[in-house]
Amino acid sequence: MAYISQYQYYANSGNTPEDANWGSYQYVSLQDIVTNFLLMYSGNHSLVNNEERYKILFHAKRAIQELNYDAFKEIKVLELTVAENLKFVLPSDYVNWVRISLYKNGYLRPLSENIQALSSDAYLQDNNGKILFDINGNILRPQDSMIDYDRLHKLKKSIYLNQGNQFNGQMGWCVDGDWYFDYAIGARFGLNTETANFNPTFNVDKKAGVINFDSSMVNELCILEYVSDGMENGDNSLITVNKMFEHYIYAAIKYEILNSKFGVQEYVVSRARKEKSALLRNAKIRISNIHPGRLLMNLRGMDKTIK
Amino acid sequence: MELFEDYFSDYNKSVVYENQRVSGTDYADVKKAITELLELFLSNNFLHPVISSAGTLTNRFFMPSDITTGDRAYMLSRIVYYNQLKSQGSNTLVVPFQLEDAGALFVSDGVVAGDIVTNNVNFLSATVLAVIGQTQLLLDTDIFTATPVTYSIFSSVSLSEAEPVTDGKITALSISPLTAPSTMFPAYTLNSEFMATYPSILTGYGSVRASYFRYPREPKWTYITLINGEPAFDQTQPDYQDFELPLEDEYKLVMKILQYCGISIRETQVVQYAMSQEQQGSAN
Repeated sequence: MAYISQYQYYANSGNTPEDANWGSYQYVSLQDIVTNFLLMYSGNHSLVNNEERYKILFHAKRAIQELNYDAFKEIKVLELTVAENLKFVLPSDYVNWVRISLYKNGYLRPLSENIQALSSDAYLQDNNGKILFDINGNILRPQDSMIDYDRLHKLKKSIYLNQGNQFNGQMGWCVDGDWYFDYAIGARFGLNTETANFNPTFNVDKKAGVINFDSSMVNELCILEYVSDGMENGDNSLITVNKMFEHYIYAAIKYEILNSKFGVQEYVVSRARKEKSALLRNAKIRISNIHPGRLLMNLRGMDKTIK
Repeated sequence: MELFEDYFSDYNKSVVYENQRVSGTDYADVKKAITELLELFLSNNFLHPVISSAGTLTNRFFMPSDITTGDRAYMLSRIVYYNQLKSQGSNTLVVPFQLEDAGALFVSDGVVAGDIVTNNVNFLSATVLAVIGQTQLLLDTDIFTATPVTYSIFSSVSLSEAEPVTDGKITALSISPLTAPSTMFPAYTLNSEFMATYPSILTGYGSVRASYFRYPREPKWTYITLINGEPAFDQTQPDYQDFELPLEDEYKLVMKILQYCGISIRETQVVQYAMSQEQQGSAN
């Protein structure tokens, strides 16, 4: 990214949006990466020579994608209301989720992923259990599967300790201040901590591109924190990399080209791989921002007695 | 032409020597000398767009030719795409070396000295020397001689280089989201007549400029006819054209002419002599 004046940086030279250049100095653009690689790491005297630009572009983008998955820590956040269908459509640049929360009464409540299925596909069957087809041979499907129908109509029971729990609302007796319940089979001892959560639960249906929630999430605000692959919906001009990772990107491109090229000695490939790995580790440490000021706040609690 | 083509093979040899560490330092930098020689033939011109039968611009451009650019390309060096169109319109007044458009807002559009102005009717281009005002530009070349003529103004600093791709590769390249040509990373393919640019939105005169090695101009021995019918050499004629070769290649040129003359008059000894001299020269 070219150097810009303070007026361009703070006020976008009077144009809108005003914040277009804020923080831009942290990043190096995809165009700069490809151009710099062609100039500095490719050519007659270099290990990489006679390679088409589109190959360099491809490997640069792949490296950026990989960095976005775990190293960048650039988490995107989207807030949407969960409607009557109890679905949250995944954002167009969604790759994986980091945290899903319910925002209610000013509190952000992290939600648990339901360990059971919340949604299902279904086929229509006759009384003998045979699957029904239309005249074109396509399978007939109900509008909703039974599990979906129950979930959408607040009939589905939950193993979580929320309002949908099977024991919620059951009659009991209070004797000497202790509550006793009568269960159909056996008795309950202790608590399954995995499901001991009052908040709504969810499942991510990756292929369908939605997050399915249980019925307690209807008309509630959902905050999705997720990671993308940094490809900015195909707009090359918006693809950037944090400068901490600039050297790593060059090393990654070089390694990928040498690794897939015929006749390159193994020690050359190995050297390139080690260089790439070392630079990635260094960049990850740098981006972690570990410094005394941050550690101090955590260490202040070290002498606290754990009860 | 033979000597001209030899320059490219000489360049290749010099690169090989340089890689073998037997040449390329200080006064032994042969590559540098050949590069400078080759660059004498380097030409830079905007390519003329192909207009479809419906009268619309296409992403195809005519290769350099005597009709479009005034010379022919021996080899393309690079294709540049100017990706920032700053202003466009039609001129309203003819002033020599100026572009005047009463409806323009050149200052507001960010037009600055150095930007490229193209005449989209006669396919001529000029560079902005100064922005006189919102409606007036001073140009380095007089390209507007009538009104109304449509023009485009491109930023000279906002550009991207197009990559040559074979026709067999362009489909696969365009399908992949990671490699698909874009305005930042454009590509082009060639056929016998046209160059096609990708993505296909790259259209219009002034947006695509080719840098290429042109063929040497054909030498023309001009003369005036004397009273007794004998022609006398006259280099003041407007169509006079000398050989476009460096002085050090004069000997090679003479030997080549001698060879061809020998063949022409069927004089074996002359041909053999010229060939042996040529071989001796290249061995040295």
